[in-house]
Amino acid sequence: MDRQGSFRDGPQPAEFRRKLKLILAMACLAVFVLTARMWYLQVIKGDELRHRSENNAVRLRAIQPLRGLIMDRRGEVVVDNRASFDVLIMPARDFPPHMLARKVQEIYETRSVEFSPDQPLPAVFKTHLPVRLEKNISLEKVALIETNSVDLPGVYIGVTPVRLYVGGEIIAPIVGYTGEVSKAELDCGKGDFLPGDITGKTGLEKILDPYIRGRRGNELIEVNAFGRVIKNLGRIDPVSGADVVLTIDAKLQRAAWEAFAGRAGAAVAMDPRDGSILAMVSSPSFDPNLFNSGIAHDEWVKLQNNPLKPLSNRAISGQYPPGSTYKMIVAAAALEEGIITPETKVVCNGTFELGGRAYRCWKKHGHGPVNLHRALVESCDVYFYTVGRMLGADKIAQYAARFGLGDLTGIELHHERRGLVPTRDWKLARMKEPWQQGETISISIGQGFNLTTPLQLVQAYSALANGGTRWRPRLIQRVISPDGTVLKEFLPEKTGEILLSQKTMAHLSQALWGVVNEPGGTGAAARRPGEDVCGKTGTSQVIGLPQSEKARRSMKIADFHKDHALFVCYAPMKNPEIAVAVIAENAGGGGAVAAPVARKILDAYFDGIKQRQAIKLTGKDVSAGT
Amino acid sequence: MFFFRYDRRIFQNFDWTLFALVMGICAIGVVNIYSTGFGLGENSPQLYLKQIQWIILGLFLMAISFLIDYRVIAQAAYVIYGILLASLVYVAFFGHMANGAQRWISFGFVLLQPSEFMKIAVIIVLARYFDDHKSREPYLLRELFLPLALVLIPFVFIIRQPDLGTALMILIVAVSLVLFIGVYWKSIIIAAASAVVMMPLAWLFLKDYQKHRLFSFLSPESDPLGSGYHIIQSMIAIGSGGVLGKGFLRGSQTQLKFLPEQQTDFVFSVFAEEWGFVGGVVLMVMFMSLMVWGFRIALHSRDLLGTILAFGITALIGWEVIINLGMVLGLLPVVGIPLPFFSYGGSAMASMLAAVGLLMNISVRRFILQR
Repeated sequence: MDRQGSFRDGPQPAEFRRKLKLILAMACLAVFVLTARMWYLQVIKGDELRHRSENNAVRLRAIQPLRGLIMDRRGEVVVDNRASFDVLIMPARDFPPHMLARKVQEIYETRSVEFSPDQPLPAVFKTHLPVRLEKNISLEKVALIETNSVDLPGVYIGVTPVRLYVGGEIIAPIVGYTGEVSKAELDCGKGDFLPGDITGKTGLEKILDPYIRGRRGNELIEVNAFGRVIKNLGRIDPVSGADVVLTIDAKLQRAAWEAFAGRAGAAVAMDPRDGSILAMVSSPSFDPNLFNSGIAHDEWVKLQNNPLKPLSNRAISGQYPPGSTYKMIVAAAALEEGIITPETKVVCNGTFELGGRAYRCWKKHGHGPVNLHRALVESCDVYFYTVGRMLGADKIAQYAARFGLGDLTGIELHHERRGLVPTRDWKLARMKEPWQQGETISISIGQGFNLTTPLQLVQAYSALANGGTRWRPRLIQRVISPDGTVLKEFLPEKTGEILLSQKTMAHLSQALWGVVNEPGGTGAAARRPGEDVCGKTGTSQVIGLPQSEKARRSMKIADFHKDHALFVCYAPMKNPEIAVAVIAENAGGGGAVAAPVARKILDAYFDGIKQRQAIKLTGKDVSAGT
Repeated sequence: MFFFRYDRRIFQNFDWTLFALVMGICAIGVVNIYSTGFGLGENSPQLYLKQIQWIILGLFLMAISFLIDYRVIAQAAYVIYGILLASLVYVAFFGHMANGAQRWISFGFVLLQPSEFMKIAVIIVLARYFDDHKSREPYLLRELFLPLALVLIPFVFIIRQPDLGTALMILIVAVSLVLFIGVYWKSIIIAAASAVVMMPLAWLFLKDYQKHRLFSFLSPESDPLGSGYHIIQSMIAIGSGGVLGKGFLRGSQTQLKFLPEQQTDFVFSVFAEEWGFVGGVVLMVMFMSLMVWGFRIALHSRDLLGTILAFGITALIGWEVIINLGMVLGLLPVVGIPLPFFSYGGSAMASMLAAVGLLMNISVRRFILQR
C-alpha cells in the first residue's frame, strides 16, 4: 500500500476537474442531440409513424430458393422442382382466421371440393402474421380462391417450390427426401435456417444440402389491411442451389427396378473401372414425393410398420449371408496360400463328415471328383467344405478383408452397414465361446456368421474384374452451379488392393465365366452371347434346415424362411465395364431367380450402348417411340 | 479473507445514490424484457426470469468488487487480464457458436461471454499501468506502446469472433482514458494519422455483414431489407410511441415482432414504443445522472488509481448509452452495442454490475484513505 495518497508524482486533480467539465459538456450535448431526435420521431413525426405501425405495413417476406436439380450421368433430370400452391390467411381484427376458414370451406362446398386444413388454426392470432390454411392444393382450388377473392379478405395463394421426384420410388433410396426444417435443426443454430425453410432429410438430399439448398431471398412489401400487397419496397432475389450430376444411369436404374417386379431385394451395378455406381435399387421402396409438404400421419405409420422396411436402403444396409458367392473368396485364399492347385481334385459324394455330423452338398448324389474350376462352375459345397477346413476361419477372414468385406465401403450415403466376417477372436470376444470346427465348414460356403451387403459384394467382384483394385463406390460426379461452372468434382478414389497373383485372378475369372457359359454352370440364366458374362450364383439359407430328407419335405417353409437368391457378375470378361450384384429376398435359388434379374440389368446396359452408338451413326434416336 | 479488512466506515458511507440508480434502471429493464416476451406462448423462454437470475449473480460480483480494496484489485490487474485473455483464446478455438459468431464459453447450464468481462479488465489493467508510470508531463507516444498492445490483443480476438461492437467499445474506452490522463497534441495528431493509414487494414478484419452494415448506415435506402430494415422498424416503433407511449404490453411493433433484436440491442425501441417520449426522457435522465455521479467519484478519489478507474468505468457506461441510443434512433450505424443494465444479456449484466461495485468501492474509500 505504498502508493497511498499518490497524486504526488502524477497529473493533478485540478487538471482532471478541467477535463471532466469539458467531457460532461460534450456528454450533455450528445444527450441533447438524442433527446432532440426522440422529440423529432415521437412528437413531430409521431402521428405519421403511429399510423404506419398500425397499418403495418412494411413486412419482410422470405422467398424460398429453388433447390438444385439432381441429374443422372447423361444429364437426365431425376429430381426436379415444381410449384406448390398454399392457401394463406393474413388475419385482420375484423376477419379472424376461423371466420375466413369457414368462408373458404363454404366456397369449396358449392363445388363439392373437399376442404383439408393443414393444421389446427391458432387460437390466438396476430394481425399481420400469416397463417397457413391449406398446403399443396389443386389447381381447381387455386381457381376457386382467386375467383372468390372479393369475399375472402386477407386470403391469398402463396407459391413455393417443392421437389418433384421424377423416378419416385425407383430413385428414393439414393436421393432420400426433403421436408420443412425441424425444430431440432432450427435450435442447433447451424445452417442459418428460418422456420418454413426446406431442407434435405435423408439420402443425397441431406448430404448435398449445403450445395443444393440455395440461398433464401427476401422482399420488403407494404400490405393493406386485407393483407394484399400494395407496394414492393425492395427485393433480394433468392439464389438457386447448385445442380448435382450423379454416376447413376437413369435408364439402367429403371431397368433394375422393373427387373425386380415388386419382389423384395436389392441390386447394385458398378463400373469396376472406377467405382461409379450405375444403378442402385432397393425394393420395396417409398415415394419421396409424399414427404414434400409433410407426410400424412397414417402414411408415415404405414411406412414405419411395414415389415419389409421400405424406408431402408437394402443395397447398403441390408446384411445377408453371401452364400455361394463367397466361394470365389475361399478359392482365392486356397490358391494364394498354396493349399490347392487348380488341378487338385476332391471327390464329392453328396456329404462331408466332420465330428459325427454330415454336411450336405446341394446336389444330393454328389458331383463326383471335381477340380477347382468345376467346383466353382457347379458350385460344389463339399469341395469348399474340404478346402475351407484346411484354410481355417482366420485365413478366410484375412482374404475376405482384402476384398473389403466386413468393413464400410465408404459410399457417400449414411447408414451403411459393415456386414460381418467372423474370426476366432471375434467369436470369443462376442459370444465368450471358442470357435467350433463345424463353423468353419459353414462359413466356407458363405453361411453361418457371414454377413455382407449387396454393395460390398459388387465391390469385391469389381476388384477381381479390374485386376485387383478396390475403388470407393461413388454416386456423385460433380456439383455444378446453374450457369454451368463446376463447383466441386468428386474423383474416383482407390481404397485398397486385393493383392492376388495374376495367375490366381485368371483362374478365378475363367471359372466365373464357366458358371455362366459352360454346360452344367449354375448361372446360365445370365448368359449373353457376345459379352462373356462372368458370375457366381448364391443361395443363402435363412435358417438351418432340418437334416433328414423326410422332415424337410414335411415342413412347409414359410415365406420368411425361404432362401435368399444371390447373383454377382461382371462383363465383359476382358476389360469389364459393369459389375452387378443382385439379392432377392426369400425368393429361392440364385441361378433361378437372381441371375435373370442381373441379366435384365446387363441387357439394359449393353443394349443402351448399342442404341447410343446407332444414334451417333444415324443421327436420330432409333429407340424413340418404343 | 486476508485482503479484506473490515471497516465500519465502508457501510456508513455506502453510496446509496449510485446503487439506487443502477438498480432502478435494472428493474425497469426487467419489466421491459417481460413485455418483449409477452404473448409468445408458454414454451417460449422466459427471458425476464433469466435476466433476474443474472442480476442476482451480478450482485454477488458487485459485493466482491465492492468489498475488496480497489488497490488490491489493481494489484491483481495483470492476473485478471491474463485469465480473460486466455479465455478469449479458448473461445477462438473451442467456443460455443450461435448466430454465426463464436463468442461464448459453455459451462453446460450457462454460457459466458468473456469479451464482456474483458471490457472491465482492460480498464483495470490500464489504470494499473498509468498508476505505475506516473508522470506530471503528458505522455509521449512511445510510452503508450505497452498500453496499446494491452488493448489491441483482446481487440483482435474479439473482432474475429466476430463482435465489432464489443471490440470497438474497448478501443473507444481506452482512447478516452489516454486522452483523459493526458498526451501531447502532437502525439494525438500522429496517432490519429497512423490510425487513418491503418484503416484499410482494419477493413480486412471486418466480416461481410459488418461491411454491409456500415454501407447500409451510409445509405439506408440502398438496403431496405438488411440492416436498413432494422433501423426502419426501430424508428417506426419509437415514433409510434408518441408523447405518452402505447402503454405496457401494447406496443404493436414489439408484440408483432417487427422489431429485430428486441431484447438485446434494440431494447430501447420497445421501451420508447410503450412508454413514449416521457418514458424515454426519464430513462435518459437516469443514465445522465449515473454519468455525472460516476465522474464525481472520479474527481473526488484520493488517488490517481481511483480517478482513472472511476473515469474508465463511467466512460464505458456513457459511451455504451450514447452509441446504443444513437443506433436505435437511426443516428449511428448498427454495431451491436447493448444498453447497459437494460438490454437482455447475462455476461454484460454481470460484468457491468461488477464494474459498478468497483465504482462504489472507490466512492466509499475516499472517506477512508488519506490524501
